[in-house]
Amino acid sequence: MIFCTTQEGVHSDAFGETEPVKIAAPLLTIAAVVLAAALHPALATDDPYLQQRAAMVRDQIEREGVSDPRVLAAMRDVPRHLFVSPSLRAKAYEPYPLPIGEGQTISQPYIVGFMTQILRLKETDRVLEVGTGSGYQAAVAAKLAAEVYSVEILESLAVRSRRTLSDLGVRNVVVRQGDGYYGWEEKAPFDAIIVTCAGGHIPPSLLRQLGNGGRMIMPVGGPFMTQNLVFIEKDARGSITHGNVLPVAFVRLLGH
Amino acid sequence: MAARIVPAVFFLSAATLANEIVLIRLLSFRFWPHFVPLIVSQAMLGFGGAGVALQIVRRRAERSPGRLFAWMVLLAAPTFDLAFRASQSVSFDPFLLLWDPVAWLRFGGFFLLLAVPFFLSGVAMAIPFAFFRLRPGPVYAASFAGSAAGALIALPFLMLAPTGDLLRLPLALGAVACAFVLSDKGEGLRKGRAAMLCSVLFLLVIPPGDLKLSPYKDLAAVRNLPGAREIAVRFGISGDYRAVFAPGVHSAPGLSIRFAGEIPPQATLFADGELRGIVPKDAGRTPPAYLGYFPAVLPYRLIEHPRVLQLGLRGTEGVLTAAANGASTVTVVEPAKELVRLIREDLSGFSGGWPGSLPVEIREEGVRNFLARDRRNFDVIEATDISSSTFSSLGVHATGETFLLTREGIRAALSHLGEGGLLAFSGWLKAPPRENVKILRTIRAELSAARLVPAADRVAVIHGWGTFSVVARRTPFPPAEIDRVRRFCSDYGYSMVWPAAGAGTVGGAEERVLREAVSDAMTGPPGERETELFDLSPVTDDSPYFHRFLRLRTLPEFKRLLGSQWIPFVEWGIVFLVLSLGVSLVLAAMLLLLPAAFVRDRTGEAATISVGGYFSALGLAYMLVELTFLKVGILVLGDTIRAAGLAIGGFSFFSGIGSALSGRWESERAMKRVFAGIAVCVVAGFVILSEAAGSLLAHGWEMRTAAFVATLAPAAFLMGIPFPAAISRLAAAGGSAIPFAWAVNGFFSVAGASLASIGALWLGFRWTVVIGAVLYVMAGLLYQRVGRKIRS
Repeated sequence: MIFCTTQEGVHSDAFGETEPVKIAAPLLTIAAVVLAAALHPALATDDPYLQQRAAMVRDQIEREGVSDPRVLAAMRDVPRHLFVSPSLRAKAYEPYPLPIGEGQTISQPYIVGFMTQILRLKETDRVLEVGTGSGYQAAVAAKLAAEVYSVEILESLAVRSRRTLSDLGVRNVVVRQGDGYYGWEEKAPFDAIIVTCAGGHIPPSLLRQLGNGGRMIMPVGGPFMTQNLVFIEKDARGSITHGNVLPVAFVRLLGH
Repeated sequence: MAARIVPAVFFLSAATLANEIVLIRLLSFRFWPHFVPLIVSQAMLGFGGAGVALQIVRRRAERSPGRLFAWMVLLAAPTFDLAFRASQSVSFDPFLLLWDPVAWLRFGGFFLLLAVPFFLSGVAMAIPFAFFRLRPGPVYAASFAGSAAGALIALPFLMLAPTGDLLRLPLALGAVACAFVLSDKGEGLRKGRAAMLCSVLFLLVIPPGDLKLSPYKDLAAVRNLPGAREIAVRFGISGDYRAVFAPGVHSAPGLSIRFAGEIPPQATLFADGELRGIVPKDAGRTPPAYLGYFPAVLPYRLIEHPRVLQLGLRGTEGVLTAAANGASTVTVVEPAKELVRLIREDLSGFSGGWPGSLPVEIREEGVRNFLARDRRNFDVIEATDISSSTFSSLGVHATGETFLLTREGIRAALSHLGEGGLLAFSGWLKAPPRENVKILRTIRAELSAARLVPAADRVAVIHGWGTFSVVARRTPFPPAEIDRVRRFCSDYGYSMVWPAAGAGTVGGAEERVLREAVSDAMTGPPGERETELFDLSPVTDDSPYFHRFLRLRTLPEFKRLLGSQWIPFVEWGIVFLVLSLGVSLVLAAMLLLLPAAFVRDRTGEAATISVGGYFSALGLAYMLVELTFLKVGILVLGDTIRAAGLAIGGFSFFSGIGSALSGRWESERAMKRVFAGIAVCVVAGFVILSEAAGSLLAHGWEMRTAAFVATLAPAAFLMGIPFPAAISRLAAAGGSAIPFAWAVNGFFSVAGASLASIGALWLGFRWTVVIGAVLYVMAGLLYQRVGRKIRS
């Protein structure tokens, strides 16, 4: 079952990626880095979770078979602890999903890494995310793609994730409250679609909005449990292929 | 004195038992089913704690036991309501138990709060035994008879009161109990006590609090959606049923990606808060097109205009699917009358009614009852959703009995297939494969047992991107039908798994694993695979836990293979059962055994190992026997609540009679016969009931109820004797060891409630009952030492 409704779009203030600045003055660069480090919790040298995050990437993601260096770097950068409630921050880098309220969860780090890798995101890609949740997956995807459009059906989560992303200075994610089942027609076609809320079927509207050559991933399972991942590809002529892909840990269980 | 005590004990016992029954429903609704062991544990913890508390305050209590009794009754009554209200404010998340210590504390608090009414009632009911020096028989009789009455009243009350109002029953019964303790003998009305009764009456008239659901339950998720509104509610013994319309619901599990149309608006149906079915809007006259795009419609592609039997009512979607795919008749078996009424009557305006051209018969009875009773054959027999993608996919039903999916259930279903008829199962694909392989092995075992071999020629398996469909028939599939299966797969984008497509088959790891598992299930050696991580062997009525895949001995291997990634394979029902056992035992040890150990026996009476051994054996054995009868009762009687009511009520009633008459058998010689009688009656009663279950299923509920009660009555009657008989011996020896006996008995009753479920899961009902009988024999060997002075 996919729970999504069409609501009026509520756009955030953060729109698209800014044009690259063509000034190469080293001084400015250093100043920008220092300033960013001071303001950006993820880059701050006194980030108390830096080591935990590095350990998470090393032990839970890289060791389990996610090898794309860009994905690993993105997950090292995004401060996962800021996407969960303060009471659960100490557990943010543990290898399990955590509740984020409203009966929703933030996926375990490994699943986020695996789903991101399989989408093979490029810097020019336009990505649709269905089910913003905490905003963590969008933040990771935003490190790898040009634009991320994310739809969240629950207003409280949409508001919270928009604020978290804004606080982190993520500029290329747009969150709106609405029914992700119908995608985001005005922004289609998408190079990649990531459905983070487990669904009972693949919405025909999302298939239509997936551009030629696009990739789509959708988990199947209840809260706290991703059991299957469905991967869909549309080739250059628009033909669709699909299959279930197994996270590496699952494959190991199968003895393959 | 007895004139007021006996009725007060009767009504308080009735309130306590009614509280147990309604809590089963309330916690099923808030969290998930199978809370029976937890609730029985809470009750036993409360009762055991009562014994210890009396031990500690014994000297003070002796000064004015009548007053203490009255106040305990008065305090117990309001807690039937207040404890539950308070428990709702504990933000207890069962899913965090595995990794968050705070969740354990919250769970402990939740557990303790719900034990409070049982504790206060237990104190009240123990006082007459400990201090009044009455003959224990009549008070015990009142206690047990009250329990039986409470259980029997609770069942019809489930039909009368909305789920949120259910606690008014124990509250009202508690208020009646209070009315008997408003004054002391020969004195006038006590104002403080009257004021307390008024507070109970006040709770009766104020609205109950809203039931707070676990946020992960399907109902909670849909209620959260923008624009969600409840459009129909029904309630009854079988459950709480609700229909919610939310524009954001688009349910079509496993829909083919070849479907490019739209899904109409849908109402979602919930049973005790879990997704139960879908009702598409205005689809009665013209079934929506999407209903033809599921792997589960395979049987309709193989048989034209089939006579269809559907096991379970899935909203209107099941019937509409049959109509959309050319069925000639549909018979639906659904035991939940309330659900049938809700769909047929309350939602007829929304759904547009049933398809006019299709004859639809709905049989309101248990599936196994129907299969045992009805003589008709069908072309297609459908059991859908044997593994779900929603909340229940978490394995919360691993501890739930599913008698349809046992070997006996499959045998019954196969016997109703007409010539060329198909038995069909569908559900979600999982990695590694579980439900589909287990059902295939069960089908193969039953086909082979009926000499319909090779089974591999009689089965076809396909899957879509998310779901599988298994079809089986009594005769081999002709090649033309296999071709039709292939065409169906090709047309809708599905994969054919069995019969195997040949060596050239390609696919990812999951596809290969599924094909190998299916091939092994169809052609590999029969029997259990010792090397498999999951238990995929067929289940029987003796341990009907189809959704239990966990092998205890492979847990370390799981951990080694998957390291930190093993969470997806956890079966939460079992985790919760084991964790609740752990938490309840820790609490019981802290609250029962620890205080009892510190309270020294100053009289030199027999608070000895023998007393401990005797009462622990009784506590454990009673629970093992009672709860195992309850579980078999689910098959015989058709649903959990009915079985719980009749088992708990029946055991209480007949044990109450045994208790009342226990004075006749207190001699050591007579008690030897009693213990031998218990062992014989427990085993014989259980064997008769389980052996007769198959033929009983074909009879009406009156006959089944009578047979169920008749098989448990002799054992229950005798099981009521050992506790008061030994209490009498302790009383004769001075009585100071009585609270200790309550404590030990309570502790092992707490353990027994969960251990009965664990025994049923891994040993089966029969062995669990045998262990119970053996424990009674062991208690019999210790009886003569109970109450014996160890020094003069």
